Amino acid sequence: MASIIEVKNLSYTYDGDAQIVKDAIHDISFSIEKGEIVGIIGHTGSGKSTLIQHLNGLLKPASGEVLLNGKNIWDDPKNIKDIRFKVGLVFQYPEYQLFEETVFADIAFGPKNMGLTGDELKNRVESICDTVGIKREYFDKSPFDLSGGEKRRVAIAGVMAMKPEVLILDEPIAGLDPKGRHEVSAMVKNYREKFGATVIIVSHNMEDMASLADKLIVLSGGKLVMYDTAYNVFSKGDMLSEIGLSVPVVTKVLKLINEKNNDIRTDIFTLKDAVEYLCALSAGGKNA
Amino acid sequence: MDNLIEIKNVSFSFDAEGEKRDIIKNLNLNIERSSFTVILGHNGSGKSTLAKLMNGLYKPTNADGSVLVDGIDTKDETSEIEIRRKVGMVFQNPDNQLVASIVEDDVAFGPENLGLTPEKSRERVDEALKAVGMYEFRKSTPHHLSGGQKQRIAIAGIIAMRPECLILDEPTAMLDPKGRAEVMSIITRFNRENGMTIVLITHFMEEAELADRVVLLSDGEIISDGTPKEIFSDIKTLKSTGLDVPQTTELLYQLKKNGIDIDTDAISVKETAARISAALHLEES
Repeated sequence: MASIIEVKNLSYTYDGDAQIVKDAIHDISFSIEKGEIVGIIGHTGSGKSTLIQHLNGLLKPASGEVLLNGKNIWDDPKNIKDIRFKVGLVFQYPEYQLFEETVFADIAFGPKNMGLTGDELKNRVESICDTVGIKREYFDKSPFDLSGGEKRRVAIAGVMAMKPEVLILDEPIAGLDPKGRHEVSAMVKNYREKFGATVIIVSHNMEDMASLADKLIVLSGGKLVMYDTAYNVFSKGDMLSEIGLSVPVVTKVLKLINEKNNDIRTDIFTLKDAVEYLCALSAGGKNA
Repeated sequence: MDNLIEIKNVSFSFDAEGEKRDIIKNLNLNIERSSFTVILGHNGSGKSTLAKLMNGLYKPTNADGSVLVDGIDTKDETSEIEIRRKVGMVFQNPDNQLVASIVEDDVAFGPENLGLTPEKSRERVDEALKAVGMYEFRKSTPHHLSGGQKQRIAIAGIIAMRPECLILDEPTAMLDPKGRAEVMSIITRFNRENGMTIVLITHFMEEAELADRVVLLSDGEIISDGTPKEIFSDIKTLKSTGLDVPQTTELLYQLKKNGIDIDTDAISVKETAARISAALHLEES
């Protein structure tokens, strides 16, 4: 499979203020394949936001390069706007950036900027809303009359409406209640499935990462310390806690049981898998 | 019972485009002195409004509703400062709460406004910074610190005013797991060691485990009120309000649903592991 995004020896430091070293990134390289969901985890200040802002050209590498479909995104700086349509970035708390009078107008804002008009624009907005479950009756409402979770979904749909090949979301579920978290997770999965898009998610929530991400990039102190399947990353619990992260809570439970029962598996990271495993264990043989 | 905060028949509503919106509906709630209460609720349930009613930032909009803080009615405008001094508030985003460019100046902002002498103020600032474990950063610039550290500075700024009660509105929502643990351990310590009254508003079910009492809010009304174990054992009610139980309790619940004879009254990782070990006849650690 071809890489859609390739990052080669990327480094960046914030100039001017020598004290801001914490958000810098150093010599980062990785590649992401089309259609994958990749999570980025790391403690606050580990460089996560700095990294994702390079992927759609909001920041320009101090050294190294970012390739999209094999082409350096800075080859022609005049085209950087196109890159931002192809690589959509949803910031933290995107609902703070809603500003239009109606939900429809807000979601239409991005595609309108890409030059879509009339029926084409209308179809685009409708097709995205159908994909992510925003009902037509919301179209004429003011975004400010929606609940927190609804606002968040409208804001994310606004970026999806540009149909980016790569969708990047920075802490998309932070501050939402459990229902809102499930809805946002589902809309991201649906977008990936329907359009075959690649998704990159930054999150602190290890449980959601375990159930959503195919692969995880782990950052610490601006360096890439692991890039592997979610399974392999969460198998290295000790290393994760050293850098201020943790394994999902069901894994913690299994590890504690394992202290006195060495044959209990500790390489299980989602609730669903834990339930299956423990039920099988209860039904017979510990080798289940 | 010795109640620090008494909320009596309180409603709070406002007009949105000519339409009356009821955020809090005829609500009654007492917060006992030195207790640790968690308020849970979905987005839009009225949690933050309730918090702001508790320190007089908002006043009840119905005539017969009242909020008493240590016996003082928040509608009494001459007591505003006294109430704010008794009940300190910490919000979600530390960046919006820090005002000065040096940590100790930021923490001194409150005490100086209370009219304390510079010496007294200095003493309070040092004490507060030590209490949150940020004394060594007193000369730093807040925006160079991590999210957890910034939130600890914001808490120090409130603690320096020596409030009797601390209300925290989703203080850990923007923090990484380490930052969350730091903030939670400070809150718990203030409660257990100094007897500070704590009201914590959160979405993180695991944080509710540390409280004496959990109040469940939905659409401006209290729908459950009990110990964390009581609240989390009623999975149906929680789910019907758009909330979840902690993944630990959910794991036990699903095992039970699959026919395993297991007690589901655990929240912490340790208790959950013990319940599973017992049900599966494993060695308990």
